Amino acid sequence: MTDIVVTRGLVKRYPGTVAVAGLDLAVGDGEIFGLVGPNGAGKTTTLRILATLLRATSGHAEVAGIDVRRNPDAARRVLGFMPDVFGVYDDMKVWEYLDFFARCYGIPGARRRRMISDLLDLVDLGDKRDSYVQSLSRGMQQRLCLAHTLVHDPQVLLLDEPASGLDPRARVELRELLRELRSLGKTIVISSHILPELEELCTAVAIVDHGQVLAHGKVGEIERRLRYGAVIRVGVIGDEVAIATARDHFAADPRVASAAVTTGGQIELGFRGDDENAAQLLSTAIAAGIRVTSFSRAASDLEELFLQVTAGGLAEEQVA
Amino acid sequence: MADDALLEAPAPAVAEPATIEELPDGNLARTDAVIQREPGPGIRLSRPHPVRALRSGIGGITAVGVKELRGRVRGRRAFVVLTFYLLFLGLFAWAWELVAERAYVQNASLQGGSAAFASALVGQEVFGALVLVETLLVVFLAPAFTSGAISLEREKQTLDMLAATPISSLAIVVGKLFSALAYVFLLIAASIPLTAIVFVFGGVGPDDVLRAYAVLIVTALGLGSLGLFISAVMQRTQGATVVTFFTVLFLTLGTMFGVLFWNTMSGVNSSTGFLTGSSGVGPIKGRAPEAFLWLNPFAAQYDVICGASDGYGGWCTRLNTITNGAISVTGTGVGNGIFPTPTPAPIGFGTDTSGAGAGGAALPSDLKVGAIEPQPFGIRRDTFWPRSLRAWAILSAVFILASIQLVSPTRRWRWLHRPVRRTT
Repeated sequence: MTDIVVTRGLVKRYPGTVAVAGLDLAVGDGEIFGLVGPNGAGKTTTLRILATLLRATSGHAEVAGIDVRRNPDAARRVLGFMPDVFGVYDDMKVWEYLDFFARCYGIPGARRRRMISDLLDLVDLGDKRDSYVQSLSRGMQQRLCLAHTLVHDPQVLLLDEPASGLDPRARVELRELLRELRSLGKTIVISSHILPELEELCTAVAIVDHGQVLAHGKVGEIERRLRYGAVIRVGVIGDEVAIATARDHFAADPRVASAAVTTGGQIELGFRGDDENAAQLLSTAIAAGIRVTSFSRAASDLEELFLQVTAGGLAEEQVA
Repeated sequence: MADDALLEAPAPAVAEPATIEELPDGNLARTDAVIQREPGPGIRLSRPHPVRALRSGIGGITAVGVKELRGRVRGRRAFVVLTFYLLFLGLFAWAWELVAERAYVQNASLQGGSAAFASALVGQEVFGALVLVETLLVVFLAPAFTSGAISLEREKQTLDMLAATPISSLAIVVGKLFSALAYVFLLIAASIPLTAIVFVFGGVGPDDVLRAYAVLIVTALGLGSLGLFISAVMQRTQGATVVTFFTVLFLTLGTMFGVLFWNTMSGVNSSTGFLTGSSGVGPIKGRAPEAFLWLNPFAAQYDVICGASDGYGGWCTRLNTITNGAISVTGTGVGNGIFPTPTPAPIGFGTDTSGAGAGGAALPSDLKVGAIEPQPFGIRRDTFWPRSLRAWAILSAVFILASIQLVSPTRRWRWLHRPVRRTT
């Protein structure tokens, strides 16, 4: 799989602040790539540099093999960009909105008309063709905005916070739409600070903070790497004595840093080890006659990973 | 445009993924290895052919223009406005005609014994009134239509979406300007038949009408591009509108007051318009520089109107009355202010052509141009408006170029660059 979006040592400096500090990215062809980070991490700046709207202070950025700095015009023809806050034009109908952007790409009239109805069907706005843009719901406007990025059939879509401000239903619709676009062979780069929506959607993510990539790879991969040092919750059948015995058993394991009984009667283990070690811990516990009912990691979703990674120095060292 | 130019920028010292390769024709070509490896569909690897670039530029202007005009002429609003505008203009012309008729036809002393001449004076009166109202309209409408053009897009964040397409900054700016002005031009054009009623009265030549419309069109272009430029500089539409409004006020009332102030300070006689020999105050000496008024559309239009109504035309003297004597003409003889009425008076008036001013005072040498003098602005009549147009044309070009730079996402003129702190 070739990398279709690449940045190397990307730096964007503003007077008094560094928005992007040596950011390296590689997005494979056909991926849905999540750019995750807190507000101010440099996600928007990175996307805007890729979309040729900003010039990087230094570093290299390319889309589909085109250097966005040296050849912005060509880059614009292979990418579609959706800004975080998408505005609507007053006094404009849905089809006119798409027609306008299609004209901006110099698409001839006959193809434009066909393409507009195709796109409206794709984003499920076929019956809103003659509605005014400002009369659409937010979710519809978002889908229309997504449609506008597709008028020139680009290889790469850069979507800045596409799900922000959408209700859950609209989010689900957007997610389905993005999956469909992926099946059409598009590479999609999404930025977000809301993680759950990316977890199910993205094939790969990069966790960004302070203008740098902290973790980069498949969602599962990052999760596995970060599990080292996770919390394991163990449920045990039995009275207080049995639970205390079980706790002592776990505490005896060299990989268990701490073991405590929670008010709910569960045992919480501070565990330093990978999946293999965890499996071993469980099997020795069962062999020792402890009646385990549940054995799970507390850090199971991206949200917690994210907090771990962006929390501070320790997490950064682990990832590095 | 600006982005095309980026292609020409010298390669940075940092090693770029580039190769030197021998082309079949023997020329060394510097090509981008990365581009060669995986060209996307429809990517132009070299600078676009001029014809294709022109076509895509026109396509971009059309795209913006069609979009803007669709919004502007949607529904009945545009046509209702046009109807009421013509209705108002017609009523105004009619009312002015009645007033002028009272003043000239019923006043035997002004007729100079010739009723035909009085008709010409009425024609000149109506012509001046119509042209000035149209100028007023253009002065307010043209910048009002453009002062939100760029800032509104910026506020709604649609400028980013636009900038991410291959459309050039030039196409955005020119498309916006002409679509905003298209409606103003429509109003101007719609008034032409109405203005043509002056030919019924006479006293105004077709060349006068053409001059007046040339001034109108260039004024619309100039003030339109001024509004566009302010819109591109300012971040907010509200601010842009306020700044534009005050700039227009300065160009119209401000420059006029400046001239009045200058002439008062330097001791230009308020009743004759002659220099009194006063040494002036500081750098303020002599007659106010004509360039003060170059950007004043009303001054240019007054010159055109004065040019049509030679002699005692009401419009030449009326301005002087409005400005309270400092740029005034007294009596029926010759005037020498900023807007003095010209001599010789038209045939039939029988005033002197000897070059002597009112009260027999000799004309100052700075007012003597050939045999006909003095002239509006102390210069030869009918020579002011071309200078005004030239100044506006140059300024429009400057405004448009600057707007293009401001709209371009990757600006090349660093001194104009004002980084906007973003949240992310």
